[in-house]
Amino acid sequence: MTKEYLIENAKNLSPVNEAAAKDYENNEDKLVDKMNSIMLAKEDIISIIGVNNIDMMKDNHANHARFMVSVFKDYNADVLVETILWVFRAYRSHGFTTNYWATQINNWMKLINEDLNEETVKEILPYYNFMLVNIPIFVKVSNEKLESSDILH
Amino acid sequence: MTAQQELSSNTKDDSVDFSIMKDEFLHALLNGKNKQCTILMQSYLDKKISIQQLYENIFKFALYDVGELWEYNKISVATEHMASAIVETLMNQLYPKIVSNFTEEKTVITSCVKNEMHQIGIRMISDIFEMNGWNALYLGSDTPDHELIRFVKEQKPNVFAISASLSFNIPNVVSLVDEIHKHFPDLLILVGGQAFNHGFENIFKNRKNVIIKSDIKSIELFIKNY
Repeated sequence: MTKEYLIENAKNLSPVNEAAAKDYENNEDKLVDKMNSIMLAKEDIISIIGVNNIDMMKDNHANHARFMVSVFKDYNADVLVETILWVFRAYRSHGFTTNYWATQINNWMKLINEDLNEETVKEILPYYNFMLVNIPIFVKVSNEKLESSDILH
Repeated sequence: MTAQQELSSNTKDDSVDFSIMKDEFLHALLNGKNKQCTILMQSYLDKKISIQQLYENIFKFALYDVGELWEYNKISVATEHMASAIVETLMNQLYPKIVSNFTEEKTVITSCVKNEMHQIGIRMISDIFEMNGWNALYLGSDTPDHELIRFVKEQKPNVFAISASLSFNIPNVVSLVDEIHKHFPDLLILVGGQAFNHGFENIFKNRKNVIIKSDIKSIELFIKNY
């Protein structure tokens, strides 16, 4: 399982229609607020994201929603995969656990189902499914780069 | 390809070993040694390293390493910001050498796309245009789209250069390019930055008047042929 495998799979995702992208964008702030509340309410949040990482987690949620708006408006599989890998590397290096990604993506899916209209859900949920089912591969591929990093060694 | 590998391959044909210079510069940078960084920069210039080579082979790759070190949690955000601030100070010191003796009647606007905070790369590009006699209007980081459109309307540039360092800002570049071309379809847009080092050339293949430029050498070539 390689980055190329992820990109090939990502290429199977269909572009999102304009109305769905707009619906997601219109609800972006609300989704982020709710996501932050859900995650902050978790008693084990520190064990999921690591110490002193609350602000970084909130940044990630805001960046995620902003990025997904752009993805839905103009989809490119390479950009999606490359970005997710970068986020995995950077956040995992800073103490975020693998569980964080599963928890986060599941919560995005829950919020999308609750807050967006049915047509939007149908359009964008495949993207979240893609991210969810491929978490182990994103972890594996991002690990390879983390382990091979010889910077300043 | 790591920054180190990229640097090695970029300098293979050169008699100068930029990777040693980059490493000693990076070491001083990460330790906050302003004075040492200034001394090193001057020593490179004394060895007849051009500003273009200094930017491309030393500053750029040192800053790529700084970014990777943050990514791998080996340095703090504070250290990353300090390193950037030192490089910007050095670039300010170079400004008298940047100002060109001749003037082209051409204008370029240079800016980071919205949400992009890494501005040093596009500032280097701005300096290269200025060294070539262009009127370079450098706007820095995180400029909102509507402000950019208004600025383009006011300044009527020949070229507009946009930069993104992080791949999650690439969609913002695409939407900005489309928005600018809605208003100014003939305006030539240069796109670059570290985000485009991963081979995203196909993004703009169906769009006119957009060119991806990945390094200073190709920017200089562009300027000479413009």
